[in-house]
Amino acid sequence: MKFNIPIGPQHPALKEPISIRLTVEGEVIRDADLRLGYNHRGVEKLAEEKSYVQNIYLTERICGICSHSHSTCFVQGAEKLLEIVPPRRGVYLRYLVSELERVHSHLLWLGVAGHEAGFDTFFMYTWRDREVVMDLLEMISGNRVHYAINTLGGVRRDIDEPLRQKILEGLKVLKARSEYYFKVGASEPTFVARLAGVGRLTKQQAIDLCATGPTAKASGVALDVRKNDPHDFYDEVEFDVPTADTCDVLGRTVVRIKELFESYKICEQILQKLPDGPVAVKAPRRAKPGEVVSRYEAPRGENIHYIVANGTDKPERLKVRAPTLGNYAATIEMLRHGYIADVPLIFAAIDPCICCAERSVEMIDARSGEERTLRFSDLRRMANERARTLPLQRNVEWPL
Amino acid sequence: MNDDQKIEKLKTFVPSENVAAPAPHRIFVTVAPAELTALLAKMKAELDTWFLSTISGVDKGEDFELLYHFGDTTGSIHVRTRIPKSDPRIPSICGVIPGAVLYEREIQEMFGITVENIPDPRPLMMSDDWPAGNYPLRKDWKFDRPAEVIPGGKK
Repeated sequence: MKFNIPIGPQHPALKEPISIRLTVEGEVIRDADLRLGYNHRGVEKLAEEKSYVQNIYLTERICGICSHSHSTCFVQGAEKLLEIVPPRRGVYLRYLVSELERVHSHLLWLGVAGHEAGFDTFFMYTWRDREVVMDLLEMISGNRVHYAINTLGGVRRDIDEPLRQKILEGLKVLKARSEYYFKVGASEPTFVARLAGVGRLTKQQAIDLCATGPTAKASGVALDVRKNDPHDFYDEVEFDVPTADTCDVLGRTVVRIKELFESYKICEQILQKLPDGPVAVKAPRRAKPGEVVSRYEAPRGENIHYIVANGTDKPERLKVRAPTLGNYAATIEMLRHGYIADVPLIFAAIDPCICCAERSVEMIDARSGEERTLRFSDLRRMANERARTLPLQRNVEWPL
Repeated sequence: MNDDQKIEKLKTFVPSENVAAPAPHRIFVTVAPAELTALLAKMKAELDTWFLSTISGVDKGEDFELLYHFGDTTGSIHVRTRIPKSDPRIPSICGVIPGAVLYEREIQEMFGITVENIPDPRPLMMSDDWPAGNYPLRKDWKFDRPAEVIPGGKK
């Protein structure tokens, strides 16, 4: 007997309200469907009525976690249209903020994953140490979330020598802490057993459904815009693209931890090689008619902006595709054949912000047909209950 | 495979004036709508372009321009096609790229383009009570805020 369970869509604390409809047979999810658009703000239409400078701040507000990735993606395209070349110091500082943002996003995600798996100590530790990188970002840009450091032709703020030293010290702390988590995760068999085998997405499925970012990398697909399409910066630093072949939530965790180390490596190289000179050049207001495709590796995957200029100071068209949209098709596949209790974990594994708040779930009792409303905390309790009664998988090893 | 090799390969699929490379790592290919799926199938088989980033639509006045953005390990290829606004139809590419369905649903509701043989034709973003025939990303579409009606309020 099959039942439908709607999850979502609305919660005031959610960045992205989304509605998931699950068809379940007992505990097993047979089918899943997503309904989007609860947070559709018409940014693409709005961008056509704003000037290039205004659009930097508009695109920055597309996302609350990876705000810098959208504004960077926009400015690196718009600079091509306006035919300006930002000075090297400006470019280095821009991508320094990019990598620090990736660190804060991945640390946030690790905490969420720990929380959803019932490992709250992990959550509290990672979020405590996330404050280190948040403080660094605040010292560089003046803000914790919307850094507003990008401008057409460079960045808006410079760093001085004492701040450079502070960032290097902060990176040392973060590196040491990340290595510690690495060990804690490796010696924690319940955590590994909870994540292994959950939310399977085979390599072929990842390819068919155009998955991106850590979701694809955990299925053995090494697509990374920084490596494949180095936008006049990433070919100057050395880093690797980590992948995993476990095709599950464990793999996505491993990929993100390894990406943290790659980001520290990139940050250190930036600070060591930081060129002297100005941080920005003056940009013209109007762009000649033309078009540009700008790609950027956001913490969650490939971010792409397509900008068409028509000779005025406003773009003719701005198309934005954020990585989460690219991963929705894969999420449906991951949910299929999973358990209801794994939904928070699978969802958390593609996007850190969907699951971080409480959410109301209508549950239909299979025997009585009676509907009752479950809070997200109840669902998580059920998930932890299942994890506790799960036979411990002794053969699972932390693949780091 | 670098840009030159990819351009060389693409020129065997379409006439050579339809391939342009305006910037490093960016190759633009123009194709007629009827030949779109055949070209994408060939590209997927020989150029390994399985990763569709997104589909962009642009309102060009009389026509719609659609761009299929593909990323691969050495850059990106963008397939451009034009369809008339008077008869906006495009074949679905889901047979070749199954992950394209969300993007096809998006262009369907944003531009009013009919995607033929799409596996899932429901709207993607718009609310259930969105009035029919309103396609927000068309240039002639303007938003007029409807007069607010307070239930039980003054007439």
